[in-house]
Amino acid sequence: MDVSAVESILARGENLRKKEKNQKRAGSFGFGTICYSNCIRANWLTPIGSESGLPNQIPEMELSSIKDAFDRVSKKQKLSSSKTQEVIDQVGREIEQTLEKLQSSQDAASGVDQKAFLTELKSKINEIGPINQLEGSQKELNVGLSKYTKLLEKSFISDISKAYRNVEFDIHTVNQIVATHFYRQGLFDLGDCFINEAHEPEGTILKSSFLEMYRILEAVKSRNLEPALAWVAANRDQLLQNGSNLELKLHRLQFVEILQKRGRNDALKYARAYLPPFASGHMDDIQKLMACLLWVGRLDCSPYAEILSPSHWEKLAEELTRQFCSLLGQSYESPLSIAIAAGVQGLPTLLKLANVMAAKQQEWQAMKQLPVPLDLGREFQFHSIFVCPVSRDQATDENPPMLMPCSHVLCKQSIVKLSKSSTRTFKCPYCPLEATVAQCRQLYF
Amino acid sequence: MEMESLPNGDSTSAAAAASVPTSKLSHLAESLKLEHQFLRVPLEHLKKSMRANHRIVEKEMSAVISGVAEAADRDMSKEEAVQHLSCLVSRLQGLKRKSEEGSKTEHLQAQRCRARLDHLDGVDIDNQSEWNNMRVKRILVDYMLRLSYYDSAVKLAESSNIQDLVDIDVFLEAKKVIDALQNKEVAPALAWCAENKSRLKKSKSKFEFQLRLQEFIELVRADNNLRAITYARKYLATWGATHMKELQRVMATLAFKSNTECATYKVLFEAKQWDYLVEQFKQEFCRLYGMTLEPLLNIYLQAGLSALKTPFCYEEDCTKEDPLSQEHFRKLASPLPFSKQHHSKLVCYISKELMDFDNPPLVLPNGYVYSTKALEEMAKKNDGKITCPRTGFICNFSELVKAFIS
Ligand SMILES: [Zn+2]
Ligand SMILES: [Zn+2]
Repeated sequence: MDVSAVESILARGENLRKKEKNQKRAGSFGFGTICYSNCIRANWLTPIGSESGLPNQIPEMELSSIKDAFDRVSKKQKLSSSKTQEVIDQVGREIEQTLEKLQSSQDAASGVDQKAFLTELKSKINEIGPINQLEGSQKELNVGLSKYTKLLEKSFISDISKAYRNVEFDIHTVNQIVATHFYRQGLFDLGDCFINEAHEPEGTILKSSFLEMYRILEAVKSRNLEPALAWVAANRDQLLQNGSNLELKLHRLQFVEILQKRGRNDALKYARAYLPPFASGHMDDIQKLMACLLWVGRLDCSPYAEILSPSHWEKLAEELTRQFCSLLGQSYESPLSIAIAAGVQGLPTLLKLANVMAAKQQEWQAMKQLPVPLDLGREFQFHSIFVCPVSRDQATDENPPMLMPCSHVLCKQSIVKLSKSSTRTFKCPYCPLEATVAQCRQLYF
Repeated sequence: MEMESLPNGDSTSAAAAASVPTSKLSHLAESLKLEHQFLRVPLEHLKKSMRANHRIVEKEMSAVISGVAEAADRDMSKEEAVQHLSCLVSRLQGLKRKSEEGSKTEHLQAQRCRARLDHLDGVDIDNQSEWNNMRVKRILVDYMLRLSYYDSAVKLAESSNIQDLVDIDVFLEAKKVIDALQNKEVAPALAWCAENKSRLKKSKSKFEFQLRLQEFIELVRADNNLRAITYARKYLATWGATHMKELQRVMATLAFKSNTECATYKVLFEAKQWDYLVEQFKQEFCRLYGMTLEPLLNIYLQAGLSALKTPFCYEEDCTKEDPLSQEHFRKLASPLPFSKQHHSKLVCYISKELMDFDNPPLVLPNGYVYSTKALEEMAKKNDGKITCPRTGFICNFSELVKAFIS
């Protein structure tokens, strides 16, 4: 996006902001940091409350008042229902009464009476005005309903697809992601059902792996460590590469289980068979385990009581999952859940941006980089991003971050600019110290 | 150099550290504002039931009233009159039953509206991760319903016990129409149009016109020209005022027949016109219920992938924890813009922790940067020796220097 576009977005944002003076969360554009290169960009520096610099257009939501509004609608609905029943009953009673009168008039020559009864019924029902009554209560209900509908529209973002791009979003890819997610969560029946309905047979690629993972985890849950130990033994080298000592942790739990259930001799036998390979790196742990042998039968009141804590089993299951996924080339959390969570956090800002850029559809569709940050939580920070405090550019291989002798870090282009492309000294923009280009070194994050 | 003497960095990172809970809370509040559809759909469903129930009562009541008037105005024998009034009474009894049933349905639907409000109100920092899991499930049920994967949608909703939080019954209504259209039957779709006539008119929908056109085309295809013309007079003529061009084009098929090679008309006879009607119906349906036209999943995924997308994601060493390390996610993200940062956010290669004021970055003599905590731990375990995990370079902890990132 070019500078003039940013400028005009800002101008529109500013206008919008002025319109909403009464809104308490409208952010003010602050000038938080020194900026040498581009004063338009300085406008984008952190305003109070949101990092995006876009106006907060939606007022704070009061769910309790929304609930109250709905309860009023709900009450009116009940009133309207009982009113309807009442009107039906009323009309029914009048007709029944006339019916009785007709039936009880024995005289065959009472045709006049009959006519009178029926005319009376007609005028009585006219008096009741059932249709008017029904419409009246319905109208009142409709007023309540439309008030509530408007309140929802005002309190929520009524169309969250405004920031959606009309780009290729391949349905098969999405389906395979969804299927893998179900298997990843251990929902195998659902995954199969989905694969079937969506006709997406390639979605089962990871199914058997996750089946194995859940088989191992289920066994762990019932305190059977055999499948886990077998898996760990088969993947020993890769686990060591990951720096995981899962195998020792499994043996430790197994040792304690045996000690508790089968006694000292079996436990000792187990220790001799399986622990020696870990002696070099984990002597502390092994000594502790051996000391447990002295407390057999009363481990719970020993200095090692902690070793019995069920939390070890939970942590083990977690690490097992983590390592299993890692060896599969998968993340510990479902990537679909992560991407959705990131979307939930990013979407409000994205929608504000889309709103500001509503008149610039082409630019919106064509942009290669968002003009504002989406301000995600740190759990979504997977890469080191260095932003030069002078130029506000994100560092790249061509424009890497450089450490000055004073320990401040700028990107290469800013340093070249400050030095005016010479070998002479220049002053650091953040402290009184001076440096030359030759004294600056590239950093790798 | 002292941190205090920095014109920036120090104060901002301290403020950032202090505002973590506030930013979490504001993220939460902002995310709730995205839930319009969640409240709107059951409300529209409730409104629809109310309208339908009211229409029945009004219609029946009017019939009874004119029945009474008829009895008063016409000459009837006593038997006739008794019979006539008894008939009205039982009609009213039937109406009362219907109205009671209707009111029960409305009550259940109102409860669902309320349950969703409670669900939104029930989230806080402590139960957020469980609540977020539920949201993923809701989003997935929405996705499956929109793509007509009903069995899977029901399975997920039932196994997670979130039936009140998803719109299965609303979509089952759509299913009838979609199934019929896929079987090349328009009757249920037309009935649906009639049911929602005034609202479709308000949104200037031409869906009914498109259905009628298709029916006309089918008559032409069957060489039933006379019936086609009668049909056109009866059902298409009224749309002439607003959609003359389309009307003329379709009428011209009478001259060309279904085996025409003329591209303008040939396309009208293609089977994909029915798929197009299904798509059209889905859009009208979503609009009527206040749903987004795109599945929620696509909307959130697109926003999330754009927010996560950095040039580093497409490099080989992208961490597996990043969804964008996976081919499927990369493919979806490829047409989306990269995210933008205004401030440095540095993640320690060793510990994956953020390098900030509490855990500042340290520089090895070879220019590689890791977090203080990770390097301190490494030094402690190895007698003060530091080994760069990426280059194998070895140095002493004392050789490390600070880097000030603002
Ligand atoms: Zn400096
Ligand atoms: Zn990435």
